[in-house]
Amino acid sequence: MLAYNQKSFLIVDDFSDFRSSVRSMLRELGVKDVDTADTGEQALKACAQKRYDFVLHDFNLGDGKKNGQQVLEDLMLDKLLSHESVFIMVTAENSQAMVMSALEWEPDAYLTKPFNRAGLAQRLEKLVQRKTLLKPILQALDKGLPMEVLAACTRLTQEDARYAPLCHRYKAEALRDLNQHEPLEAFLKTILADRPTPWAFGALGNLLFKRKNLAEAQDVYERALKTFPMLPALYDGLADVLVARNDGKRAQQVLEDAVKLSPLAVRRQSLLGKLAMENQDFDSASRAFRQAVNQGQYSRFKNPETNLGFAQALISKGGDAGLDARSRVELNQTLTDVAKDNNDDQGIQVRTRLIKATSLQRSNPEEAAKLAEEAVSRLQSMDQFLSAEAALSVAAQLQNLGQDEAGVGVLKSCAEIYGDDPQVMQNIAKQTDDPAILGSNKIAIDYNQQGVRAYREGRFVEAQALFRQALALQPKNISIALNLAQGLLHAKGVPITGAGLEECRACLRTVGHMPESDARFERYQKLRNRAFGA
Amino acid sequence: MSENNSGLDFSMVIASIVHDMKNSLSSVMTAHGKWSQGLPEEQRNTAERGVIDYEFANLNGMMVQLLGLYKLGVNQLPLRPEYHEMDDFIEAQLAWHQEVLDSRGISASHDVDVLCPLGFFDRELVGSVVANVIINAIRFARGAIHISAWEEDGQLVLGINDDGPGYPPALIESQSAYVQGINPVSGSTGLGLYFAARIAERHERNGVVGRVELANGGSLGGGYFKLYLP
Repeated sequence: MLAYNQKSFLIVDDFSDFRSSVRSMLRELGVKDVDTADTGEQALKACAQKRYDFVLHDFNLGDGKKNGQQVLEDLMLDKLLSHESVFIMVTAENSQAMVMSALEWEPDAYLTKPFNRAGLAQRLEKLVQRKTLLKPILQALDKGLPMEVLAACTRLTQEDARYAPLCHRYKAEALRDLNQHEPLEAFLKTILADRPTPWAFGALGNLLFKRKNLAEAQDVYERALKTFPMLPALYDGLADVLVARNDGKRAQQVLEDAVKLSPLAVRRQSLLGKLAMENQDFDSASRAFRQAVNQGQYSRFKNPETNLGFAQALISKGGDAGLDARSRVELNQTLTDVAKDNNDDQGIQVRTRLIKATSLQRSNPEEAAKLAEEAVSRLQSMDQFLSAEAALSVAAQLQNLGQDEAGVGVLKSCAEIYGDDPQVMQNIAKQTDDPAILGSNKIAIDYNQQGVRAYREGRFVEAQALFRQALALQPKNISIALNLAQGLLHAKGVPITGAGLEECRACLRTVGHMPESDARFERYQKLRNRAFGA
Repeated sequence: MSENNSGLDFSMVIASIVHDMKNSLSSVMTAHGKWSQGLPEEQRNTAERGVIDYEFANLNGMMVQLLGLYKLGVNQLPLRPEYHEMDDFIEAQLAWHQEVLDSRGISASHDVDVLCPLGFFDRELVGSVVANVIINAIRFARGAIHISAWEEDGQLVLGINDDGPGYPPALIESQSAYVQGINPVSGSTGLGLYFAARIAERHERNGVVGRVELANGGSLGGGYFKLYLP
């Protein structure tokens, strides 16, 4: 028997009857330290204050509340729960929670209600045994050391080959974290050749997707869904691949299937909304965004883009007929919420005003004009960079609202900031023929490319000069500024001078206005830590 | 679900009611467990207690099965196989039935072949099949049931054996008809067999599918249910 009197427990359930009944079962097992919570928020707070050895969490804590899966994700992502602790998901019906679950974060065990004391004791005992067996792996995970995880897996497998399958997943995740792509691919394929395994399908699809091997990734997901048609996470993976292959229509269908299985997923609903917008399916778009906004309230994936997307979808759905009364209420609500939540975000303030103005253009042109002017004046005093996508839609709205000059300004700065991305330039070309915008950055981008070549070939001083020339022409271009910063900081054999460091810091200060959602944000952070000290 | 609103989708109505019934039952079971803990020793282990515990487990098993059959019918039964430790899986099943076994005076034992400590299957689905077989074995057992797990031709076999009178010969003879759903699936035994076979065959490996087999004999001499998982 376990020494339960040393262990701490947290019971999370919205029914007090259930909490007290589990508490008394635990008492009979000798447990002394039991805390309870009735919402996910409380559970997170409790775990932030105290390290629990066991968490017994009810999956369904009521409509519109955080569910057990969301709490588990929060606990793991915020590192509020050690890998050595045991998380048990308690469900009323066995399959429901599993359909909802993401493949990445799974509880240590599911326990179906009703259960008795003997059943609970058996599960606890066995889970502790397993955690003890895997202890070296779990400790390495807590420390965030994938190399050590790998070594621990190898050791365990050598000690007792019969338990090797229990290490598979830890090993695959460690290889992923170490970017050991080839060994990971080979390993996952061996597992799948032996047995179709849901997580291994997901991991292989994801890896192939990351390595831009899109056709094979699609094939993997399609095979996986033939065997496991009830796992929404696999649909998500397939949709990502289809989007990358420019098949937005099918990607939308795939996500529609996934939300039928599991509607409670903020990211899935927002991506669906976005795809439906692109496919001009405004009914589906507003439905999906509405779901995403409502669910997002309690989710860590709450995102202002969802509210803005919802408002935009409602306007497009109304079309020439304008908004009906219900849609208008929804639109105002969602814009008010997002503006309030993002009070300090100038970009969001501008965009909410423009969307509101667009919605009022017919019914109240005076108010629309007033809002548009307000947006323009905020725009002019703004340092922050809009994302390319946001800039393009802002430009279109400004033109539509008669603020042509401001619209052109936004396109111009978008071309400067993102001009090295041909996709962005193509989208800009859809809105303007102005050669001053479309051609202005050609020379700078050419210098930049030469600079990249020089840097790769180890001609660091030359690379710096080229990047510098490029940046002088396009001072806000994120790629060029990052390249110059990196060229100054990481030039082998050319130690950075005081002036060089100042120049590097100036580059980073300028592009520090980039949106956090930008793919290069992580690279920027690393350079910044280096240049300014962490 | 139906396109027009002309009628009820009766199977869905039943499924959603069973779902609620199962939740009610779950509350009753939990409350009963708590209440009987508080009773004095001599009132605790009565014959009625045995009936109540047994029928609770039986009812719960039937409802799980009904919901499973509904989902199977509408193609919504999720399959999520993983590696599980066999002794853990079997012990969990026996622990869940501990009150019933105790109150009926049945001793339960198990053994797992040391060479294959792990099995690859959907724990919930196979668990619901095994739970129903155990309930059935408890009904007929005189004093013992035994669960074992071993490997046969690369397949995992789960055997549930009791010391009762065994399955009726007619049932054993016509088991394939029940399994295929040819015989009218009525009564809990036939239904259970049909459900078990469907769950077994969802487990597939390199073209081999899982299956079930009914027999009499084994070390205890009574009913002997075997589940083959590739």
